[in-house]
Amino acid sequence: MSEQGRIVEARPGKGAGLWLDAVRRLCKRKLAMVCLGVVMVYFLLAGFVYLAEMFDWRVGPTRWGEEVGQSYAPPSSKNILGTDIFGQSVLRKTLYGARISISVALFASLISIAIGVPLGAIGGYFRGFVDEVIVWIYSTLSSIPYVLLILAFAVVLRDKTVLGHRLTGIAAAYLAIGLTSWVGICRLIRGEVIKHKDREYILAAVSYGCSRRRIILRHLMPNVFHIVIIDFSLRFVAFVHAEVILSFLGLGEPNRPSWGAMINDARMELSRGVWWQMAAATAAVFLFCLALNIFGDALRDSLDPKLRIQ
Amino acid sequence: MDLIANNKRDVKKSDGNETLLSVRNLSTDFFAEEGIVRAVQDVGFSIRRGRTLALVGESGCGKTATALSIVRLVPAAQGKIVGGQIVFEGRNLLDLSERQMREIRGNGIGMIFQEPMSSLNPVYTVGDQIAEAIRLHQEKGCKEAWADAVEMLRAVGIADPQRRAREYPHQMSGGMCQRVMIAVAVSCEPALLIADEPTTALDVTTQGKILDLLDRLQKQSEMSILLITHDLGVVAQRADEAAVMYASRIVETADSRRLFVEPLHPYTQGLWESLLRLGFSGRRLRVIPGSVPAPLQFPAGCKFHPRCSKGRSDNRCRSVEPELREVEAGRCVACWHARGYEDKA
Repeated sequence: MSEQGRIVEARPGKGAGLWLDAVRRLCKRKLAMVCLGVVMVYFLLAGFVYLAEMFDWRVGPTRWGEEVGQSYAPPSSKNILGTDIFGQSVLRKTLYGARISISVALFASLISIAIGVPLGAIGGYFRGFVDEVIVWIYSTLSSIPYVLLILAFAVVLRDKTVLGHRLTGIAAAYLAIGLTSWVGICRLIRGEVIKHKDREYILAAVSYGCSRRRIILRHLMPNVFHIVIIDFSLRFVAFVHAEVILSFLGLGEPNRPSWGAMINDARMELSRGVWWQMAAATAAVFLFCLALNIFGDALRDSLDPKLRIQ
Repeated sequence: MDLIANNKRDVKKSDGNETLLSVRNLSTDFFAEEGIVRAVQDVGFSIRRGRTLALVGESGCGKTATALSIVRLVPAAQGKIVGGQIVFEGRNLLDLSERQMREIRGNGIGMIFQEPMSSLNPVYTVGDQIAEAIRLHQEKGCKEAWADAVEMLRAVGIADPQRRAREYPHQMSGGMCQRVMIAVAVSCEPALLIADEPTTALDVTTQGKILDLLDRLQKQSEMSILLITHDLGVVAQRADEAAVMYASRIVETADSRRLFVEPLHPYTQGLWESLLRLGFSGRRLRVIPGSVPAPLQFPAGCKFHPRCSKGRSDNRCRSVEPELREVEAGRCVACWHARGYEDKA
């Protein structure tokens, strides 16, 4: 209480104090901001390629299919990252790959969070019969080998028509991955909600009149949300990887380059000393995942008031 | 200083006789693996407007279970209110829907808990939490509620409330957290405040300050307080009336001064004798022999008989449980040996 005398201007009324404060804290971390920048660049690139493809702009990444040199030309001043077996530019393929890989990983993550978080929260909070049903569903799902399950979903979903749209290879991939991988986050959230729901501050919130919905959304979720963030940043990597598996088995996006497909192609090339395709795709994944993980970690820390750096 | 500028409810000027809350024959069971724990048995008391009733008893005697039952917060998976009536402002709370009950919680009955540090949500600033309680029950914008929250912090004696409102619970001391918790609980001017061991987790000097604060708030707003405590000193100083609980039942109720001067139940007598008092002359403190029975192994008859000098050898005490009877005006006791008890049968 030594600083009692200090007069600080009160911030006038505020709404989303939690998130606003978290963002303010986050902005003070230089490394986190750099990583956010890197992640943003990737997302912008993916978005740009998406638009370019949609409107048929003839720019570098969308012209990945053109032959720019000899087969397996090493990196040179003409083709900075060399060429692949068909003489296509590895640089262009890597840039284009961002679009496929990031959209698969992003949508798959969003789907799994959208399923896993509400189910986990509902099961953990209400317990009883609802919880048993949810646990039964995810136990069943998790008892099936993961790759087989993704494969089954991908095969079933491919070329199906959903809401009037034919599912493309990517859509099938992210649906398959998303629908099968919510179990982990669901379990984590359920456990965490069970841990928090009997804490005294929840009882106190009920005692001043909060409804059950309000308790879950406003009091429990902010206290367990750091798990979603950490899980998201870790899972993103796993999903890029899952896309590799699907591509390798011919169930991803077969006709367009993704990082997964490039790494898959590059396996055979390594023995011939052709390292550039592998290097380019790996570096792209590595930088993205590293930046995303550091940023996710910093975001988690800044959401926790106790770890606040003064 | 007006406690809250926006007084939505006309606080009736009480003459101290109007009954605000009346609990009758309340029984609550908890489900344990070994069987049903009868945590609250046939408990009855009433609180008048603007007065303080202390519910006294040892740990595990059912004080908190009683408090939770009153606001219907006994967790459904662990326990259930099995009988009785809780009449608050003329309505039986056990008949209300969950929605109506939410209106009562915070608005009609506020609650504070034993552990101030863990009773506040760690991710919100203290101002946010007071503002939330206000906005749940009053139609107010964010800014208005925030301004009220700052005023509430000032009212509970927190220095520099504008700055403190933007701090998080972990930045505050236990005493300050309890003040904040009180601010949350009284922000909507409840007619009744249930204080469940509000000072147990605090050090002695802070305890006094918190109780002074409760006194002051009570005087300002005619609020009734149900003070749950195991501290007899607190009862003697702060409460108008007291109900003593032993092993899930109320064994004696009285005006707190009379309870102090002339306890009727042997358990209450034992409690006073084991209390260190001013002017104490160096003899050994007396203790009540034995210990509180486990809820699943309550003895037959009067639950206190194995520890009671009169009851141990009395067949009636060992076989028939005495009910709570009014032996004098405003004075109830449940003991076969209490003066005047048998005349009232």
